[in-house]
Amino acid sequence: MKRAYKYFKKELLSDNNVWNTLSILVSLIIFSPILLIILNITGESNNWLHIKENLLFNYVFSTLYLVIGVGIISTVIGVGCAWFVTYYNFSGRKYIEWLLILPMTIPTYIAAYSYYDILEIFNPFFNWCRVNIGLEETIMIENILIYFIVIMLFSFVLYPYVYLSSKASLTIQGSRAIEAAKTLGIPTNQLLWKVIIPIIRPGIIAGLSLVVMETLNDYAAVEYFGVSTLTIGIFRSWFGMYDMNSAIRLSFFLITFVFIVLAFEKILRKGAKYDGKGGSSTLERIEIRGYKKLPVILFCLTPLLLGFFIPVGRLFSWMLGHNVSMNDFNLLSVTLNTLGISLASSVLIVLIAFFIIFSKNYFNKDSLRKLSHLAILGYSMPGAIIAIGILKLNSTINGFISFMLIGSISGLIFSYVVRFLAVSWQPIDSSMEKLGSNINKASRTLNVSPQKSLIHLNYPILKKSLLIACLIVFIDISKELPLTLILRPFNFDTLSTLTYDLISQAQFFQSSVPSLMIICISLPAIVLINRQVDKGV
Amino acid sequence: MFKKYFKNVIMLVSIISYLAAEINVYTHRHYDSDKILFKKFTDMYGIEVNVIKGSADQLIQRLQSEGKNSPADILLTVDAGRLVRAKNMGLLEAVSSKTLTKNVPEKMRDSENHWFGLSVRARVIAYAKDRIKESQLSTYEDLADPKWRGKIVVRSSNNIYNQSLMASLINENGADNALEWAKSVRKNMARKPRGNDRDQARAVASGVADLAIINTYYLGLLANSSDKADREVAEKLNIFFPNQNGRGTHINVSGAAVTKSSKNKKEAIKFLEFLTDKKNQRIFSEANYEYPLDYNNSKSKIHLKWGRFKADNIDLSILGENNSEAVKIFDLAGWE
Repeated sequence: MKRAYKYFKKELLSDNNVWNTLSILVSLIIFSPILLIILNITGESNNWLHIKENLLFNYVFSTLYLVIGVGIISTVIGVGCAWFVTYYNFSGRKYIEWLLILPMTIPTYIAAYSYYDILEIFNPFFNWCRVNIGLEETIMIENILIYFIVIMLFSFVLYPYVYLSSKASLTIQGSRAIEAAKTLGIPTNQLLWKVIIPIIRPGIIAGLSLVVMETLNDYAAVEYFGVSTLTIGIFRSWFGMYDMNSAIRLSFFLITFVFIVLAFEKILRKGAKYDGKGGSSTLERIEIRGYKKLPVILFCLTPLLLGFFIPVGRLFSWMLGHNVSMNDFNLLSVTLNTLGISLASSVLIVLIAFFIIFSKNYFNKDSLRKLSHLAILGYSMPGAIIAIGILKLNSTINGFISFMLIGSISGLIFSYVVRFLAVSWQPIDSSMEKLGSNINKASRTLNVSPQKSLIHLNYPILKKSLLIACLIVFIDISKELPLTLILRPFNFDTLSTLTYDLISQAQFFQSSVPSLMIICISLPAIVLINRQVDKGV
Repeated sequence: MFKKYFKNVIMLVSIISYLAAEINVYTHRHYDSDKILFKKFTDMYGIEVNVIKGSADQLIQRLQSEGKNSPADILLTVDAGRLVRAKNMGLLEAVSSKTLTKNVPEKMRDSENHWFGLSVRARVIAYAKDRIKESQLSTYEDLADPKWRGKIVVRSSNNIYNQSLMASLINENGADNALEWAKSVRKNMARKPRGNDRDQARAVASGVADLAIINTYYLGLLANSSDKADREVAEKLNIFFPNQNGRGTHINVSGAAVTKSSKNKKEAIKFLEFLTDKKNQRIFSEANYEYPLDYNNSKSKIHLKWGRFKADNIDLSILGENNSEAVKIFDLAGWE
């Protein structure tokens, strides 16, 4: 107790300043809804025993299969494509290179619905199996096929996260390593395993952790295909058994998954610190010609086709083939709502992240370093659980003053901050570690004020990372569903809530219009991200 | 002069209060029928209808967290169970309206008038015309018979419609029998539960199974779809109302309630009266193929085709009370 008091006295009271205090305060505010959830983990639950005995095993393993499957496939696709477009030259490479990011614009639930009838293709086969092999066996085969399809579906829209992060590390660190390796005489066929993979591993895992979190967050797609993941369990105990405390406990299993991945990243990162001075690759791309380029092009085009062109093509054909009337819903105002709130929130989120990361780096205080981790927990929980936290926070505030956190645009933006701060955190924090640390050390020694350091030194060198962070958050928010659905003000629709609404009515054809619009507004962001990554961060 | 001024003020006040008249609705229903009804209500009474759509469970959670400051006046759900839950949480207001008690049959509203049914949905058996004869079908209980092995499809038990059906079976046959039933039906399934009610209809049409447990209006939506493939699915299926010689077919209501926090109670009650009015009830069946409260006198073409039926007389509040147990029974039976 005494030690804790001493620690806080040292950290918070002595040598205190506005930057540090404000950063801690903001971090704690962002953490507060999450804290309210954590406080409930020991809450009473009549159903926990039932869940533990009958369901937990199944939930954990379904989730595990899904996460491992999606992890492996999206890594193979992401790293493979990044490898080909960085080190090889083939016809169409330039276009393929940026087209490969496109699937990122498609939310998993829209991808799932665009493939809603894929299993029907196999019906004749299953009917045959039922008669000739047996019912139980058929159900088993079908089950395996469902896992396969869901894993593929997720991988083909989520791999861009791995692709982007590994492409960035390949372009900068990989190229220099290859040059060094070549000088040292390591043969070309061993380059990939001996040099490249170990070096870009932190990059891969950074992308992979985003893939895992997106996978864990999905409810609609797994519900539709009947895969009982932990997220399904959360909704089932919350809504089916009216047992929010069990739902919260289950969400902690989800968080464990995320922490395992993140811890893994941290361990790997520790062994690999670079001075990552920017600068583009000077490495010459290897030219592939003739029949040899076919498998390469095929490898890169398959995820693009399955993850983007087929879903988008289907949406288009629904839109055109069924005379969808645009007057049925107010598309323009819904699009403007989405654009406005996504833009405002992503800018705010990046500013908050930049502010905290800068304070943490400039003053190098242990307390802020630790507390700021709390603020980025939001991304490891499913959106629906964050929504519980926000609702709890609202009723807590309401107990003291008559102030409504939810039901307003600002309340919605706050919930986005809680959920998506981590998304902007990663790129900004890693650039700060790489580029900003020394500058800030020097600033302190030379007595350059934090304001000056922030504006004149940190901002210019981190500009690109800030922009990338902002764009990724923008895309995430424009697709966001569970938080928006439950916390929005009256008569406020975004493209994703409109899509959800139409899909709930099984108006697949009408839902194609807002779905396509979500993709459209993310496209400019994608093009910009690609440009920045190319220049090197 | 003063009189004239006074008159102007009164006029202004009345205009403002007219403009300000509005009700705020939290709704789980996302159907075209509601859009038509809400607009008609605004046209008739000049009361704006503001809407937040979401899942009823989350909306109830929101209502609870907002407490007495909640802006919501009305909670609209797609089943009685959630309304019972909201009532038990103390979120709903008892309403005394002669019109409502007249419009809504006793078994389709709360005994203490906390909530009122708006439309009726029946959970029935859809069967493949070419492979199954109506005479082969009888009750929900019969679906557990081994003769249906590999012949049934039904959606996941995550869905409230299945949970309510199970809640009614628990009430009728007891929890132990209900569990045996669920285990046997699970064994009789042609595949693991997945997809929505429409997908079950599609599966029967394409020969995956012979029977599907679905809500009636889904078949109505398929039959009237703009997609040819959907209409073909509906062509191949017939509807069977189970338990006609016994307690009747399982029904549930989509219903609504005035919230305790409502600041526009008068308007909110008017809204419920409007929705349960015979003239407007028609719209539920025309735009969404749901049954009106007076389900056996629906003039809708598709309802006339399906014919009259006897509905289970169960007190709908029981569906809400048994919901949690129903979910556990599904879990124990391995019905995902």
